[in-house]
Amino acid sequence: MPSLVANSPLGDFRQEFDGLEVAEVTGLAIVSIATPHGREAELAGAVLDAWGIEFPPVGASIESTAGEIRILGLQPGQVFALFQRDDERPAEAIARKIGDYGYYTDQSDSWAILRISGDRSREALERICALDLHPDVFKTGGVARTVMEHLGVIVLRDKDDAFLLLSARSSAPSFLHAVVTSAKNIQ
Amino acid sequence: MSQSNRTQGGHIDRSKTLRFTFNGSRLEGHPGDTLASALIANGVRLVGRSFKYHRPRGIFSAGSEEPNALVELRRDAHREPNTRATVTELFDGLAANSQNHRGPLRYDLLAVNDYLSPFLTAGFYYKTFMWPKAFWEKLYEPIIRASAGLGRLSMQEDPDAYDKGFLHCDLLIIGAGPAGLSAALTAARSGARVILADEDFRLGGRLNAETLEISGDSGADWAQATVAELSSMDNVRLMPRTTVYGAYDHGIYGAIERKTDHLADGGGKPRQVLWRIYSRRAILCAGATERSIAFGNNDRPGIMLAGSVRAYANRWAALPGRRVAVFTNNDDGWRTASDLAAQGAEIAAIVDTRERASLAAPAGAAVSMGTSVVDTKGRHGLKGVALSNGSTVECDCLAVSGGWSPNVHLTCHQRGRPVWRDDIAGFAPGPDLPDGMRVAGAANGSLTLAAALREGHEQASAAAGELGFSTVAKTPPAAEDEAVEASAFFHVKNDGPRAWIDLQNDVTAKDVKLAHQEGFRSVEHLKRYTTLGMATDQGKTANLLGLSVMAECTGRTIPETGTTIFRPPYTPVPIGAFAGRARGKEFRPTRLTTSHKWAEERGAVFVEAGQWLRAQWFPQSGETRWRESVDREAAAVRGSVGICDVTTLGKIDIQGRDAAEFLNKVYANGFAKLAVGKVRYGLMLREDGIVMDDGTTARLGENHFVMTTTTANAVSVFRHMEFCRQCLWPGLDVHLISATEQWAQFAVAGPRSRDLLRKAVDPEFDISSEAFPFMGCGEVSVFGGTPARLFRISFSGELAYEIAVPARYGDAMIRALMEVGEEFGVVPYGTEALSVLRIEKGHPVAAELCGQTTARDLGLGRMVSKKKDCIGNTLSERSNLNREDGLSLVGFAPVMRNDQLSAGAHFVSRGKPASTENDEGWMTSVAYSPELGHSIGLGFIAGGHERMGEIIQAADPLRGRTIEVRIVSPHFVDPEGERQRA
Repeated sequence: MPSLVANSPLGDFRQEFDGLEVAEVTGLAIVSIATPHGREAELAGAVLDAWGIEFPPVGASIESTAGEIRILGLQPGQVFALFQRDDERPAEAIARKIGDYGYYTDQSDSWAILRISGDRSREALERICALDLHPDVFKTGGVARTVMEHLGVIVLRDKDDAFLLLSARSSAPSFLHAVVTSAKNIQ
Repeated sequence: MSQSNRTQGGHIDRSKTLRFTFNGSRLEGHPGDTLASALIANGVRLVGRSFKYHRPRGIFSAGSEEPNALVELRRDAHREPNTRATVTELFDGLAANSQNHRGPLRYDLLAVNDYLSPFLTAGFYYKTFMWPKAFWEKLYEPIIRASAGLGRLSMQEDPDAYDKGFLHCDLLIIGAGPAGLSAALTAARSGARVILADEDFRLGGRLNAETLEISGDSGADWAQATVAELSSMDNVRLMPRTTVYGAYDHGIYGAIERKTDHLADGGGKPRQVLWRIYSRRAILCAGATERSIAFGNNDRPGIMLAGSVRAYANRWAALPGRRVAVFTNNDDGWRTASDLAAQGAEIAAIVDTRERASLAAPAGAAVSMGTSVVDTKGRHGLKGVALSNGSTVECDCLAVSGGWSPNVHLTCHQRGRPVWRDDIAGFAPGPDLPDGMRVAGAANGSLTLAAALREGHEQASAAAGELGFSTVAKTPPAAEDEAVEASAFFHVKNDGPRAWIDLQNDVTAKDVKLAHQEGFRSVEHLKRYTTLGMATDQGKTANLLGLSVMAECTGRTIPETGTTIFRPPYTPVPIGAFAGRARGKEFRPTRLTTSHKWAEERGAVFVEAGQWLRAQWFPQSGETRWRESVDREAAAVRGSVGICDVTTLGKIDIQGRDAAEFLNKVYANGFAKLAVGKVRYGLMLREDGIVMDDGTTARLGENHFVMTTTTANAVSVFRHMEFCRQCLWPGLDVHLISATEQWAQFAVAGPRSRDLLRKAVDPEFDISSEAFPFMGCGEVSVFGGTPARLFRISFSGELAYEIAVPARYGDAMIRALMEVGEEFGVVPYGTEALSVLRIEKGHPVAAELCGQTTARDLGLGRMVSKKKDCIGNTLSERSNLNREDGLSLVGFAPVMRNDQLSAGAHFVSRGKPASTENDEGWMTSVAYSPELGHSIGLGFIAGGHERMGEIIQAADPLRGRTIEVRIVSPHFVDPEGERQRA
């Protein structure tokens, strides 16, 4: 019987440009956590107990002190948890950790993840991202959903000069092309 | 002699020489030159021919307002027509050609038009060339079109790259002249985020072109020092070569940045970038444009705007003439005379329409007050002018100053109207500015240098203050208020030679008078009839002259006459820049299934389904026609087993305590009682009772469902359900998230599908018909532990499953399924075979769920539950949707077995003509059925279920084919559905 080998949406793409680097991020699990009506406090309490962090407001993310998980506030009643994927069923791993307080959906395979980093990463993103990514406005840890080149994108600023970009897996090659073209165009 | 008109000084780099050609002549210039300044330095006066009369024309201005000096730049596909020489930065190897002439520029054959001018007045084509009627389209119009116009397109695809982008700032400052630099300095020092944009490559505006001082330094030096300070600040973005061309809603501005136009080779980088600038506040410091005065034969090469002559002399050390006359109605013309004299030009005369002037004339200049220029001479270049006092003046350049018009354009882009100011004899910005916009300096009608610096500072302080920034400097840089007294004098009234109003469109004062005489009273009508103010310069130097003549004709004042509407763009923007990088395949994203690479390897033929690329069929060697492949694939599914990638179907993960109730409301049929581990077909209606979408929904847990939608409606159904969840029933505990991308899903269909899956699904999961019956579902694992979801559903009508694995395993999964299926003769099948199989079963898709049909039309009327409330059920009961003779979805078979049905054909009863009034319905889907051996179709026809066996016509006038078809059941294969339950 053949066994199944996973592949990444962008084949572990990595390219350096003057002042920035574009690289695919693999190995992360993404689990959506929806908050049941009326159980918001219980879910937040469970998250606090499990990882010692608050439930983030929409537009922000909070990373646990140990760095094993980052929770992104995406919309009222919905967050994404990002953590190292070492389980074939990451939604169940979350359920085991914080109990039956939320509705969990595995999104790990829904997204291609690119990290764009370096001094000039913001300059490259200016070509496709309508959001204001100035550090005074979009602070480190900030999260936003937006559209770049017709594609839905979740933007997370995880360092002062680094952004994690999540876009749909099926259109990942088009998204990569958009990001790489932006990097090339500012060279 | 090379650069014979070059003098001393100027802001050019003489240490480097740039070589360029104009109409093939080899010429030289320096960095810092524009094409126009280099041509002037080289003594080139004749640079083009006029639009209509093919009159010889020279450089008229020194900026983006240029009406005359339009050239074709670069070669072959890179050629760009109508490029203004006055804003084209010189580079080594530049090649420019004049445009709009037949034969050499100097001996243009079409100059004959000038002698025909009595026949070519405003709107001539409405009045002449009328007979014989047939000649207009075939003869006159082609000739007129061929002889009129500006530059020529290359007629090739634009090989240059373009890009777009988004910028944000607290304060956008438009224009980097004295007001803009002063504003930028004040704003930047307050800590605000500032963008300073200017269309020029050298910031400083008129400071570079004049000799005024600021704080004891030359204006140009002050500008350079200010630019240096600004460029050292993190909160400032300097954008030279950037034109802010439009003011849009909410403080958004459009800007075009010329990135590589000034380079010989752009290196493949975007030539221009179109920016969308989001500003919290904006200060318009766009300066003012000098206007001309209309007088007899005022269009000859050598007749130029006075301020531009001054700019060429001061900034570029290029003298447009050796013996210059100045014709002015204001003080500024006198300053031009002084500056030119200082640069070594001989001032032949100063002709001022006023009786008195406050400035002194340079030594040797003859001064004629209360006098006008009435005519000029010199066919290819000015030789002299005739004055109203009867005297003549020999000169090779006439510098004309008719006063300055504030560049109010952007203040009017949101319907703002400028207001007339007598003191400057021009329009200044009105009170109704775009939100967040302020205006400073000459653009605001404040024409002196001191006023520009002061207003820039004050407006920036005020804007920064509104945003919570405090200004550091309390006073603006110091400068003097130079003399700017002006008079309202726009044209020399006489009945002599033609006086040009609009140089670019060859509109004369007579044309404006004629338009008035013929009843065109509105200034907008005047524009359309005469073309005054159209084309690349949009009448920047002409509009006020036209208005003055119109006002005189109507006996009204200029403000009563009004201006035409100012619209973006301020200066021309290439269409390529609007397209940006969205060209060819990059026009929109492409979505690929996880089996795409594998399908490519197998030679699949793909089809676009929305943004998706789906395998349409998989040709095998020896198959020469698509039907061979499709027939083989469909037959294999019916005979053994086939696999099709169905990942593109929308998948929506639905969770919550009220998920079942939610589904019960959004679907027309009941879902509340669907058991865990079961799948149900669901039909979704719009509020108006028309079918929206269909699909299956599986219940994975008490509070957990997974819905599938059609590929086309994946997004719209999700959006609809989010609306329902958030707005209609916010009290329900239900949560949605798309899972379309998460799972790679494959249909495994055919009598051997279970056998195949037994080799894929791990043995601990019992998938026998008893344990896993039709419409069952469950979470399983495959190939040794990979998580998967299995659904026993059938689109083909055969025993069939859909199996989903996390997308990362999609590629491996299709390869593994094919490998274990080999012993059963498994075939991959594409969307065409999928379509054949579903038509054979009578399953509807988008062709049937077309936004016009009801559940009843589809034969699914009973699915609309009467026992519960759901979206669309009330309006689905409208009487007109329930007529006895309403449409029904039925099957169609050709009467002559070999006839091919065609989708889109309309049904007409036998014996009746195929006309609209006899239309009874239409064919929605057709296929060749390998199972039946003939063409089959689905379609809607009035009262269809009552007409089984009836023979009607299927008329297809589009393809010129009408055949006879028999109405049959839409279930061509296995009507009882036994196979799928096997």
